[in-house]
Amino acid sequence: MKKLEEVLRDWEAVIGLEVHCELTKLHTKMFCGCKLEFGAEPNTHTCPVCLGMPGALPVPNRAAIENIVLAGLATNCRIEKHTMFYRKGYMYPDMAKNFQTTQGPKAFCMGGWLDLAVDGRGAEERLFWKDLAAGDAVENLTRTADGYSARVGITRIHMEEDAGKMVHIGGGEGRIAGATHSLVDYNRAGTPLIELVTEPDLRTPEEARLFMQKLRSIFLTLGISDCSMEEGSLRADGNVSLRRRGSETLGVKTELKNINSFKNLHDGLAYEICRQAEVLEEGGQIYQETRHWDPSKKCTIVMRVKETADDYRMFPDPDLAPYDLSDEFIESVRAKLPELPDQKAARYERDLGLSSYDARHIADNRFTIDFFEAACEAAGDRARELAKPLANLALNDITAYVNAGDGIDFAATAFTPTRGVQLVVLLAEDAISSKQAKEVFAAVLEEDKDPAAIVEERGMRQVSDTGAIEAVVDQVLADNPDKVQQYRDGKTGLMGFFVGQCMKVMGGQGNPKLINQLLGQKLDS
Amino acid sequence: MAAEFFTMGVRELQAGLKSKQFSAVEIADAALERIGGQDERIHAFLEVTDQAAHQAAQAVDAAIAEGKGADLGPLAGVPVAYKDNMNLEGTHTTCSSNMLADYVSPFTATCVQRTLQAGALPLGKLNMDEFAFGSSTETSAFGPTLNPWDPSRVPGGSSGGSAAAVAAGLATVTLGSDTGGSIRQPGSFCGVVAVKPTYGVVSRYGVVAFGSSLDQVGPFARSVEDAALTLNAIAGHDPLDCTSQAVATDFTANLAEGAAGMRIGIVPAFMQAEGLQPEVKAKITEAAEKLEALGAQLVEVELPNAQAAMSAYYVLGPCEAFSNLSRFDSVRYGFRDPGHKDLGSQYEASRAKGFGPEARRRIMLGSYLLSAGVYDRYYYPAQQVRTLITADYTAAFERCDCILAPTAPRTAFEFGEISDPTSMYLSDMFTISINIAGNGGMSMPVGLGAESGLPIGAQLISPAFKDQNMLRAAAALETVYGPAPIAPAFAPKAGE
Repeated sequence: MKKLEEVLRDWEAVIGLEVHCELTKLHTKMFCGCKLEFGAEPNTHTCPVCLGMPGALPVPNRAAIENIVLAGLATNCRIEKHTMFYRKGYMYPDMAKNFQTTQGPKAFCMGGWLDLAVDGRGAEERLFWKDLAAGDAVENLTRTADGYSARVGITRIHMEEDAGKMVHIGGGEGRIAGATHSLVDYNRAGTPLIELVTEPDLRTPEEARLFMQKLRSIFLTLGISDCSMEEGSLRADGNVSLRRRGSETLGVKTELKNINSFKNLHDGLAYEICRQAEVLEEGGQIYQETRHWDPSKKCTIVMRVKETADDYRMFPDPDLAPYDLSDEFIESVRAKLPELPDQKAARYERDLGLSSYDARHIADNRFTIDFFEAACEAAGDRARELAKPLANLALNDITAYVNAGDGIDFAATAFTPTRGVQLVVLLAEDAISSKQAKEVFAAVLEEDKDPAAIVEERGMRQVSDTGAIEAVVDQVLADNPDKVQQYRDGKTGLMGFFVGQCMKVMGGQGNPKLINQLLGQKLDS
Repeated sequence: MAAEFFTMGVRELQAGLKSKQFSAVEIADAALERIGGQDERIHAFLEVTDQAAHQAAQAVDAAIAEGKGADLGPLAGVPVAYKDNMNLEGTHTTCSSNMLADYVSPFTATCVQRTLQAGALPLGKLNMDEFAFGSSTETSAFGPTLNPWDPSRVPGGSSGGSAAAVAAGLATVTLGSDTGGSIRQPGSFCGVVAVKPTYGVVSRYGVVAFGSSLDQVGPFARSVEDAALTLNAIAGHDPLDCTSQAVATDFTANLAEGAAGMRIGIVPAFMQAEGLQPEVKAKITEAAEKLEALGAQLVEVELPNAQAAMSAYYVLGPCEAFSNLSRFDSVRYGFRDPGHKDLGSQYEASRAKGFGPEARRRIMLGSYLLSAGVYDRYYYPAQQVRTLITADYTAAFERCDCILAPTAPRTAFEFGEISDPTSMYLSDMFTISINIAGNGGMSMPVGLGAESGLPIGAQLISPAFKDQNMLRAAAALETVYGPAPIAPAFAPKAGE
């Protein structure tokens, strides 16, 4: 199979996402008063309504409606004031009523969008944007200083209820094939769920990944869900088709299901794009089918072939009167909107002088936001001055530390925002080198002591005494006359050698900036 | 003394209780004994709840003994029974279907709960057409109910058991449900007061749904006042049914006002309808004249789209029924055909055997009508018809306070007389448009047919949430015709 980069030169991938998000922060289910709790004993959070007992009726959870309106407002959707719940019929034991209550052609939230900032390696997946000048736009893409920005349309966000959970036993690995029994746990049945559908505006797996990441970050900021892809409270299905570059017609799409991480979303789509290209290039045909991404085997497998469209016999739910949202309600929800990631990034740029890149990436993650904001707060008057090194700390050391661990809650570690400020102050005052700062960072986490104490204990104080450094520099130059000559003959790469020698003499505590500066003066004179 | 409890109305029972002439336990015992002796003649009851009735009676007696007689609920000591599509915790709720033959309710319907809170003595559950699909109780999987006026005839349906129980004096008040006429038509056939209030007046929570946008619960009684008192107890918003409405009306308030000054609408198209039996027409005409004689003004009103109600109903009803009945899948409860190795065949066999022919017919019809491509041609037009009929009623009620019409085109028919489903559907030709529009309707007994000697009901139709209008007109007719009699074969014998 060809590589993705190669495939995307000849083919354009057209990707759309369907995202399901359980509103896990609510206390009760969508249409009854049962408690929402992940991992409870099976069938302990059930009642006549969510078990579909005869005579039971649904009553909508107002807090869930507030949640979806929040999600809509945060993703630039139009809030529909007059909508209806619909019944979507399908017979399966995980849906006790044998219909799912969802929304019809008009959802609570319609026609929104999100802008994705794509930079770094991820931007490489999309071709033909580098020729643009910054600010120039083509299709849904605008060139930015460090990559491009892509606007992704959101068709709708609608409200629905989740199904129960089926467990098949007797077969292999909980699969239905070969199973002797199927068990149903209705604890999840009736969990309020919002489904967001994007326009087919995504063109690369990276864009799909970034979209999900951004959406997750927004939903987390709104506090409407714990957005755990592992536990399934945030799930994405990807629809992907290929068309020849320059073609306007859409190809046949496949749907990728069972995606439980951002990486799997990216890798699954990338595989599927390459697979489709291979089939098409060999003169084959793509079938509209649902495929499953197997991350261990790194391939997609057919789950279900869709020969005809399913007939869900949708019609307005007569048990639920048309749902009217008042202007007052919508405005009261709007007033509850917290500062969203894009707004945070803009503020970091404007008020703290961060680069657009740093600002965006700080705003990407909860732990970087929390650390950075608390540290800036602790820095007081010096916040603007220290913002850049604090951002570096958050994006480099802290991000690496969090990513290396499994589910680390950084806020609970010994490296408090106040200690972060102390560390960057030491750096700013040239008391320690950036290399030493990394050591201090690790030591603070390990020993739970202030950075200054660690610097003191380890005698790490950086030597910034010009006289002392000058003596060392003179010594090193005197010891290596041949190298000095080579340097002066144009082998300027030897600068590193001289710096290294000086550092060695100074036991690694010399201020590298001053060493460089003095060496330069003396060698170039 | 005890033998006469069943002839008493709500006020009479309560007066006796409060003056300690008799106890609630005595009422309950007498009622249960009467059911034990008489019900086999009509088969109105599917289950008798002796224990629950006794418990409720003891609670009423205890309250009276404690001197709290003044605080008694509006139905305290009143023997009440429920259509078997209403959940009462711990009792069977079968909907007269094999599908639910062994189903025991895990909770109580709001309307039932409210009668219990009002002090009613719950006697048991009443026969009906299977899942309320029918007009005769002939579709009950447990055998039909017989009309107390003539055991060779049907009691009407689908709430046939509820109507027959009151007509036979087996309960003072019963509850039924009406989707297209299922309270009013059996009310007419059995000669009792039968009220389908405006959609939203009574909570549907716990009543097994047929057509959710059409279903409404209402009382059967032998007097307008007893029906109104029952309505007072069960009406009003229920947080568990978001289609229920807050109702501040005292339905007994204007019963004594008489018909003088009321404008009574007459729909010429109804009175000239093909299939309207002459003896029924004669009785309705007579009722109109009586109202006029009492000082009401008769006005002709038109419902130009009402003739489309039947068509709209047989689209909307089956669509909703198809969806509502899809939960009966043999998985969690209900009938399961044993021995199947895959889900699909278990579904198919269990539903094919668990549902009777009329239920299967409506499910198939709804499944077809909601399917892709068909939906747009039927469901949408049916909803549009609904809007038109609602507008017709709104316009008509600008000119009158309530409408007088036949309840059913004929008197009770014989078992097996109507075997063609579409002819059976015509039983509801005068009642369906009211469910489609959502306003209130009731059947008021206006005597016996000159030819058949069987009861005939006049239908009174109210504007939405003005149910007191039809109750007032009905009370006026009651001053002429008297309260509904107990069917002669069940009435106290002279000298007893």
